[in-house]
Amino acid sequence: MLSGKSCLARTKDLYPGFEGTTAQIHELAPLPKTFSSRYSRTDQLAVVAVADAIANSGCDRAIFRESGVVMANTVGGLTEIDTGLAEGPSEWYRRPGGLLRGTSYPFAHVADAVGAHFGIRGPSCAISVACASGAIAIALAADMLLDGAAPMILAGGSDPLCPFTLSGFNSLRALDPNPCSPFDQNRKGLNLGEGSAVLILETLAAATARDANILAVLRGWAMNNDAFHSTAPQTQGSGLADCIRLSMEMAEISSDEIGYVNAHGTGTPLNDIAEANAYETAFRGRNSPIPVSSTKSYFGHCLGAAGALEAAVTIMAVCSGALLPTLRLTDPIESPSVDWLRGKVRRQPLPLAMSVSSGFGGSNTALIFASGRS
Amino acid sequence: MTPNLPPVTITGIGSVSPYGALAGLIPQCALEPTSITAWTTAGLRRAFLVQPFRPAGVVPGLKTRRLDRLSAWALVASSLAFKDAGIDLCQMDRSRVAVVFATAFGCVDLTEAFYLSAAAHGWSGTDPSTFPETLPSAPASHVSMFHGLRGPNVTVSNKYFAGEIALIQAASLLRHGQADLAIVLAGDALARTLYSWYEVAGLLSPACYNSDLLSEAGGFIPSEGIAALVMESAKHEDSRSNAHTYGRIHSGRWTAGGQPVEVMRQMLGDFVPILTVCSGNGAPCATSPTSALAREICGDRTVIILPQPVALGLAGTGALFHLILALSTRPTNGQALFLATAANSGFAALLLELL
Repeated sequence: MLSGKSCLARTKDLYPGFEGTTAQIHELAPLPKTFSSRYSRTDQLAVVAVADAIANSGCDRAIFRESGVVMANTVGGLTEIDTGLAEGPSEWYRRPGGLLRGTSYPFAHVADAVGAHFGIRGPSCAISVACASGAIAIALAADMLLDGAAPMILAGGSDPLCPFTLSGFNSLRALDPNPCSPFDQNRKGLNLGEGSAVLILETLAAATARDANILAVLRGWAMNNDAFHSTAPQTQGSGLADCIRLSMEMAEISSDEIGYVNAHGTGTPLNDIAEANAYETAFRGRNSPIPVSSTKSYFGHCLGAAGALEAAVTIMAVCSGALLPTLRLTDPIESPSVDWLRGKVRRQPLPLAMSVSSGFGGSNTALIFASGRS
Repeated sequence: MTPNLPPVTITGIGSVSPYGALAGLIPQCALEPTSITAWTTAGLRRAFLVQPFRPAGVVPGLKTRRLDRLSAWALVASSLAFKDAGIDLCQMDRSRVAVVFATAFGCVDLTEAFYLSAAAHGWSGTDPSTFPETLPSAPASHVSMFHGLRGPNVTVSNKYFAGEIALIQAASLLRHGQADLAIVLAGDALARTLYSWYEVAGLLSPACYNSDLLSEAGGFIPSEGIAALVMESAKHEDSRSNAHTYGRIHSGRWTAGGQPVEVMRQMLGDFVPILTVCSGNGAPCATSPTSALAREICGDRTVIILPQPVALGLAGTGALFHLILALSTRPTNGQALFLATAANSGFAALLLELL
């Protein structure tokens, strides 16, 4: 991402007749066959991300035995199902492996798969709140930590590409056939992607006590709802602006202290203008415009995983001080309170950064991360 | 859940179930499964079904034509719960009202319809108005939109304890000051694909195939419906003169494994609940271990209320019905334990004060 490389590419094979741009994972790290036959692609992506997170933590796997798991997704096991199931379910289930494939359908299955795979036996649940799911999983996990529900929580999201969602977004005419250009005046829509990201969360006191390598501190979070429309955001972005304000109130900071916003930035005409309006409201009166970018221009919109992936990107920003630009942003939406990041990577000290997510049904989430070194 | 924080109260109940669309407690009466007619079956197939009704007949002005049944029921149940709580949402700061929804399968009717449209017209010819309504979070979104609720909106799931987790998460939001009031919903709808899975997996009770058999016959009788509870922070409840309190939630926990007896004893301390309400995950094998666990923890000093089949048939989302049906037995006021166990030593438990 630092070199400006995008994962978006022309795609033809996801269902007959589809031709467009997606961010597809072509080689997923193989899992033992005993597991992979039981796991949907959503589960597999999550298991790979959790394994990476555990490895990155440097901790022995046993330390996670009593941890909690909060995994978001929207697709569940739809990747394992085809139209034949709806046409003749009894016959479909009686095919070899049919029942097992059906078992992975509920969106809770991802959390169960992660728990079973890693021998985690703390509180486990799944979250599905459309495209805000991954961020909401992190916010709820933080609440659970404060409640003492578990000593550590693995929180994140996972979603694969599948004909069901691709067809759905295509029917809504929300897809840009070419690589998307979030916040550009000439944006034409979003590109779907797939992936998973998982954060290991623990209280600051616990992490400090065990001398953990603290990547970042979640200083504030907020969730709310526009209560406006099933698919469209509120035009003025007032719900999202309220959400941002609430997260800053929780963090006990002013808007001047936020150094970067990783935006939801899907690239759809309606989302991006509503989001720009929200930033105008939330960050008006700052000493300088707020730097904003959308990293969906690199890896597409990963739906239930998006909020978690973008939280991870935001954490990387506070760790490294590298602010990623939005790719293909040439003619940004006019927004005096926003400093649209484009062109080269900007490097600056970044004590606090925010990740913003929204979704169908009007849900908004804002997460504020501080550098772990601070 | 942090035990030293103030409890949250349950002040309103609404439900759409095989008992009908009801505000408040469900009248005590035995219920038999009814024949499935919504799709063609190979012979008699029965379940605990919500009988078709006109949502606008219950909630005037409600428009549900393009919605999944689960979304429509969520709107009706939430409206009835607010009515039962005596809450006029127009008088409230609705940015302080949260929605927490638990479902195992989400909007299965319209998911099936979307697949059928893909089968008929190809993936390039699917219906744009159906797709957003297939999301598992669609019912919760509609509740926010219909009532104008702008607080946190969350849809949760878990194979065994989705309903219990919704209660615990809602209590957590209230205790952390992220909302003053929450509408908590849990439920699922039965569709052909779901019923067929149970059938092919061999989980159905003989009573699903034979109308002469009682609903209590062994096995699993699938059910459908949705229940809603209004939960308030103690501070908010105190500010309302017309609040009627069904109970207070003091604490709650759930795990996927471990030593339930130890954890439960830590949770209860020296306290012995007068009543233990057993929930369950729908599998016949879960009911017996739940009551055995209750007996092991509380001895003979607690009255155990066993789960009722109509709530068991909702599997992991039956918790709110388990609770409402237990409250409908008019138990003595006092402390109660609400308990569910699952395979592999997982459990969920809430400590309640019945009022």
